This record gives sequence, structure tokens and C-alpha cells, in this order.
Amino acid sequence: MIWRIGIFLWIAATMAVALLVAPLVPVLQETTRVLYFHIPSAWITVVALGWSMLNSVLYLWRRDLRRDDHAAAAAELGFLFCIAATVTGSIWAKSMWGSWWNWDPRETSIFFVLLIYGAYLALRGSIEGEEKRARLSAVYSIIAFVAVPPLIFVVPRIYSTLHPDPIINTSGKIDMDPMIRWCFFSMLVGFTFLFSWLQSLRVRVFRLERRLAA
Amino acid sequence: MPNAASSSAATVWAILRKECRSEWRTRYGLNAAVLFAVTSLTAVTFSAGRMPDRPDLLAALLWITLLFAALASMSHAFVREMESRTLLLLRLVASPTEIALGKLLFNIAFLLVVEAITVPLFLVLTGAPPVRLTQFLTILGLGTLSLAASSTLVGAVIAQTRSRGALFAGVSLPLLLPVLASGVAGTRAQWDGMPILADVRLLAAYAVALLGVSLLLYDHLWED
Amino acid sequence: MDRNWVVLGVSLLVWGLLFTWILRLERRVREVERR
Repeated sequence: MIWRIGIFLWIAATMAVALLVAPLVPVLQETTRVLYFHIPSAWITVVALGWSMLNSVLYLWRRDLRRDDHAAAAAELGFLFCIAATVTGSIWAKSMWGSWWNWDPRETSIFFVLLIYGAYLALRGSIEGEEKRARLSAVYSIIAFVAVPPLIFVVPRIYSTLHPDPIINTSGKIDMDPMIRWCFFSMLVGFTFLFSWLQSLRVRVFRLERRLAA
Repeated sequence: MPNAASSSAATVWAILRKECRSEWRTRYGLNAAVLFAVTSLTAVTFSAGRMPDRPDLLAALLWITLLFAALASMSHAFVREMESRTLLLLRLVASPTEIALGKLLFNIAFLLVVEAITVPLFLVLTGAPPVRLTQFLTILGLGTLSLAASSTLVGAVIAQTRSRGALFAGVSLPLLLPVLASGVAGTRAQWDGMPILADVRLLAAYAVALLGVSLLLYDHLWED
Repeated sequence: MDRNWVVLGVSLLVWGLLFTWILRLERRVREVERR
């Protein structure tokens, strides 16, 4: 119980500090606040979808249905976090550039990711038979994740976009005020724990479904 | 080992020829694709008229027509196999990867034939400005590769499910959106006289990634 | 300053509701697991 409360307090506290205490990023002004939700959401999306793909590979290798549980759960959660990232991004776009949606390369990429994993969910829903479903969605999940890195990391480097500097750069540090950086990473950590929790819950539900069906 | 490789290649070639022969016998897929493409072309050019001064619209139109013609006609490659139960027979003589490779090559050839008919027609009917041939063909070619790779893979996956037709388009389309985006951008750039390098790179990377990963996965698609 | 308090309030509310919902979900899962 304690760690659950811990997650709650952690994220709540980060929100409070981020919104009340942390300064604004000069270029972003008031819209700074969104980044504490938008970027962690996008990051968790990639983590979740990567985890899904990993488990899909493991499933094809070992044919252990528990891997399929993880892959499916992670894909669902990735989809949800992707919706969060898209919506927060749209809010950000509205306050910064005046329009909710512009088909900017970055916006377009995240939308494509949404559609690709929406298709994954549709695919899963239409296959009967546990093993067949696991096998086919594993293949699709691997293919789908092949598309994600180009979309999220390559597109903004190739096409010019209005989106602020890709934060997800592996090289140098972000030029952020330390307070902002702290809050940001804190939120990232909080979201990661939240994702783990939700993932384990979802997997438990899958297992129950299988047990009840048997 | 040279023997294994050459017999593999021979198998793939045999499957390719068998696909071509089956398709040529009925030409269902080809007819469907060309009919679809020509009809949609006609519908648009009839209502919108010629648009020599709108490379953005032309590019979008071309790719959407090709994309949907492909989606309408390519789902059946594996489905036909499942329905006529010939897949089992095939699997006795060839490995899943060989089968997939054969079908992939067939799909590429199929698309090329469809494009050979549709693209010139498109250029004429819409009154498109002259194309920079190498650039135009590069973009088209790379896009075709991705289209074929994706359709082969998704076709193989979908053939084992129940709701085949709609699902094929629904699952393929998101995967193909990046191809659509760069294809349209590149085609338009080529008409605008702008560089196409970025789009070519993305298209090439995507095609390679798709082809590479899908070839690795075919062995796992069917129960052994 | 004012607007930030409002945003914080809303975010905390949303987060609180989400958190409670997840807790409830977990409780139900645990119940079914016990059987």
C-alpha cells in the first residue's frame, strides 16, 4: 500500500513544484507547464511499445503465453499514453501556435503511431484462438515497432518542424534551468512507476481472463 | 552452401512463376486494381478538372489512388492460398520465407504492372506538368517496395484471421502512412523543383526496415 | 500565479480520480484472484 501512496504523492508533489515553483522556459513562456505532461507521456509511449515489441520477440522465441500478456498489455498502455501525448501536444500547439492541429511532421508522426497501434488492437480483437492471436499480433507488434523509431526520432531530423528541439536526444544535455530539469526528470520517474503498476495490473487481468476461460 | 542457396532461389523463382501464372489465369487482382485506379482517377478528374498548377494535389491524388488500388487488390494473395488449401502443399516443398519471398516478388511485379498502366494515365488525365523522370521514378519505386513488403506481410497475417478484407486495409494503412507521407512530399518536391533527398532517405530506410524485419518473421507466422 | 493554482488544482483532481480508479480496479482484480 505504501508504494502506491508513494506514487501518488510523488506525482502530486512534482506537479505542485512544476506548476508553482519552477520558472518558465523563455521561449515557451506560459506553455512551459505542458512539457511536464507531454514529454513524459511521449517517453512512456516509446518505453511501453518497446516493451511490447520485446515481449513479442520473446513470445515467438519461447511460445510462452505470459509474454503475450505482457506484449498486449504494454501495447494497450502505449496506445493510451500516446493518446495522452497527442492531446497534450495539441493543447501545447494551440497555446503556442494558435491551432489545435497542423499536420506538422511531429504531430503527424505521433498520429501515425496512434493509428499503427490502433490497428494492433483491432487485429487482436479479430483473431480467435489464444495461440494464433498471440503469434499474429507478435509479428505485427514487431513490424509496428520497426516503424516507431523512424517516425519518432528520424522524421523530425529530416523534415523541418515547428516542434521545439527534440528533447529525446541521446547526446548532450538539455539546456534547462536546473529546477525545470529536476521536475521534468521527476515526472519521468513518476510516470515510469505508474506505467509499471498499470502494466502489472493489466497482465494480472489477462491472466485471470485466461484462468476463467479455462 | 551454394547448393542450398541456389535451390532456395529456385524455389522462390518457382513460386513467383506459379503466382504469375495463377494471377494471369483469372486476372482478378489485376482487374480489380486497374479498375479501381481508373475509376477513381476518372471520378476526380471529371469533377475537379485538370490541375497542372497544383503539384501538391497531384502528388496526393496519385499516391492515394495507388495506395487504395493496392489495398483493394493485394489482400487476396494469401487468402486465396488459404481458401484453396494450397498453402499446406506449398509448405511441404518450401520454407515460409521462400514462400513469402516468392509472393513478395510477385507483389512487386504486380504493383509495377498496375503502376505502368495507372501512372501514365494519371499524368495525362490530370494534365500534370512534366516529371523529372529519375526523381519521380525513384520515389515511386521505393514507395512500391514498401507497399509490396507491407502487403505481403499483412496479407500473410490476415489470411489466418476471420474478417479478412476490411482488416487488411485497416491494418495496412497505418503501416503505410509514412510511405504515403514521404511519397507525396517527394513527388510534390520533384514537381516544385525542390530536393527530394530527405524523402528518398525516409522511403529507403522504411522499405529496408520493413523488408528486413518481415523476412525475419515469416518463419514464425505459421504453426509448425 | 493565479492561473497556475487553477491548473494545479485541476491536474491534482484528475490525478486523484485516476489514482482512485486504479486502486479500485486493483481491488477488484485481487478479489477475483482470491477465488
